[in-house]
Amino acid sequence: MAKTIIDAHNVSKTFNPKTVPVHAVQNVHLHIEEGEFIALVGPSGSGKSTLLNMMGGLDEPTAGTVFIDGVEITKLSENKLIDFRLHNIGFVFQSFNLIPVLTAKENVGFVLQLQHMSKKEREKRVLNLLKEVGLEDKINSKPGELSGGQQQRVAVARALASKPKIILADEPTANLDSKAAANLLDIMAKLNKEEKITFLFSTHDQRVIKKARRVITLVDGKIDSDVEQSPT
Amino acid sequence: MLLKLAWLNIWRNKRRTIITATSVFFAVLLAIIFRSLTDGIYDNMIHNVVSYSSGYLQIHQKGYWDEQSIDNTFEEDEQLYQELLKNPNVTHLIPRLQTFALASYADKTKGVLILGIDPTKEKVVNNLHEKIIDGQYIENVNENAVVLGEGLASQLKLKVNDKLVFLGQGYHASSAAGKYKVKGLVKLGAIELNNNVVYMPLKQSQFMHGAENRLSSISVMLDKTKNLEKLKQSLQKSIDPDTYEVMTWKEMMPEMDQFIEADSTGHYIIIGILYFIISFGLFGTLLMMIFERKHELGILIAIGMKKRLLATILLLESILISLIGCFVGIIAGILVVKWFTINPIHLTGEIKEVYEDYGIESIIYFSSQEKIFIVQTLIVLVLSILLAFYPGYKVMKLKPVEAINS
Ligand SMILES: Nc1ncnc2c1ncn2[C@@H]1O[C@H](COP(=O)(O)OP(=O)(O)OP(=O)(O)O)[C@@H](O)[C@H]1O
Ligand SMILES: [Mg+2]
Repeated sequence: MAKTIIDAHNVSKTFNPKTVPVHAVQNVHLHIEEGEFIALVGPSGSGKSTLLNMMGGLDEPTAGTVFIDGVEITKLSENKLIDFRLHNIGFVFQSFNLIPVLTAKENVGFVLQLQHMSKKEREKRVLNLLKEVGLEDKINSKPGELSGGQQQRVAVARALASKPKIILADEPTANLDSKAAANLLDIMAKLNKEEKITFLFSTHDQRVIKKARRVITLVDGKIDSDVEQSPT
Repeated sequence: MLLKLAWLNIWRNKRRTIITATSVFFAVLLAIIFRSLTDGIYDNMIHNVVSYSSGYLQIHQKGYWDEQSIDNTFEEDEQLYQELLKNPNVTHLIPRLQTFALASYADKTKGVLILGIDPTKEKVVNNLHEKIIDGQYIENVNENAVVLGEGLASQLKLKVNDKLVFLGQGYHASSAAGKYKVKGLVKLGAIELNNNVVYMPLKQSQFMHGAENRLSSISVMLDKTKNLEKLKQSLQKSIDPDTYEVMTWKEMMPEMDQFIEADSTGHYIIIGILYFIISFGLFGTLLMMIFERKHELGILIAIGMKKRLLATILLLESILISLIGCFVGIIAGILVVKWFTINPIHLTGEIKEVYEDYGIESIIYFSSQEKIFIVQTLIVLVLSILLAFYPGYKVMKLKPVEAINS
């Protein structure tokens, strides 16, 4: 049996509990194993972002527990949690992921620098990562000089840099045209297949959903369906 | 790495950084010029006043200051001069015998202050000879003539070459009496002095008072005026503390010291306002910086950057901007002050006359003490660090999700 990466029990999130409560996520159980490639779908406002944020330790559930690789992150102090994210979770956000004043190479290397990796090792790893996302010729470009798709690929490379247990991506293709979106998904799928990188990403895009091997659908903060499929 | 990131970040909005740094630049420059100017004016004022009166430091027989009588005078002593001159900061020593007496001319009588002076030494430090408005200056310590304050002369209704009779108390209860020709009149800025003073050659005064070789004070002129207390201590140490007392002009003329203190308070307020204004500018820039970058800061925290590290970057950014302004400001400040030290401003016209009426040189000197430059830079630096605490505090409270969504 494969290793468990995420194990979430009975997770709920209520915004503004005292004034106008919004039950964004309600009693969700989620079990994700190493090497999975999962799309999180559902209508707008169904709680996808909220759930992803809680899985990544960016937001605290109002109830329930989240274990990542056996560590109960819902119990960690703020600083420990930041450190945990640095070493265990990769993030790709919808847009403007990168530090605008740094080049692609420096952006990817930034995480490694935070981990105090030596310069030599870092250079090597950063080059490899950018090669994997097909940007070996853009290593010295600043984010402003890259297309949206290229920026997202740098973000994926950065998320990969710390060899995380899982990469969480909230609508990584939302601001991309369909070609760039397909290209990004292909890269993610390739990384998943060849390097066993676990991905959990939210999306609205039917063509992106098709590439997933498991699709979890949220409706009104609850898991409506959770199905395996063969990607096309 | 942090420094590099901070450096790159401040140039993201070149215009804003330049405007902010420029405001720091002007504040530092103005503060330096202002401080240098006011310090220079005070120094000059003090120099002028003390050279007529007390000197920066003054040596007396122990106990003289509390009871200023001729019996509390001390013997002039070559060895004492030698000892004092060993201190490299001492430039001139001016011996004086100060007494009070009644002066009569025709049917007028008035109490006067008799200053027994060495005319040559006096001339060097306070240009007394240039203040002569009628008649001539006395030439040496033995000359049988006196110089009067112009105000005193007019009260006594006497002219140059008239003879003045003095009657007073001499050393050890002897009586002092003498008749002297008035050789010249001086116009002095200090009204009190102008209306009461009689300058008498030292030897003559000692003779008249039966106080041969005795002095009531030695005024000490210095080449630097800061660290007065330290110099006083070291002089006191070098001479017999049981026989002599050393006092600073601040102790002898507390009113002038207080006046300067009070006057400087006003200047501190002006400089304070200057710094208050640039603080606002700097603060605004810092606020904009984190406001515009909230999303990015959120992402950095999300991917594992400690908040404290992030706050450090913002702190560095604030310090860098103000350092740029400070650095250029100091260089410009040094150049401006240097220029004015070499080419002091010579006052002209009415202001010149007012100054000279008060016996103060009509030249504005700038003070070029390093302290001014260092203190101004430190103030700006401390300000920028203090200001940067706010963005730092904001970062510590930042919630990554909210920040990313903004
Ligand atoms: N900070 C917040 N305060 C109050 N309500 C919130 C907050 N964040 C999200 N919500 C609410 O929680 C619910 C779930 O929001 P969420 O952003 O997770 O949905 P989503 O599925 O990601 O939607 P979308 O597809 O539009 O991104 C929504 O009703 C939203 O209005
Ligand atoms: Mg969302």
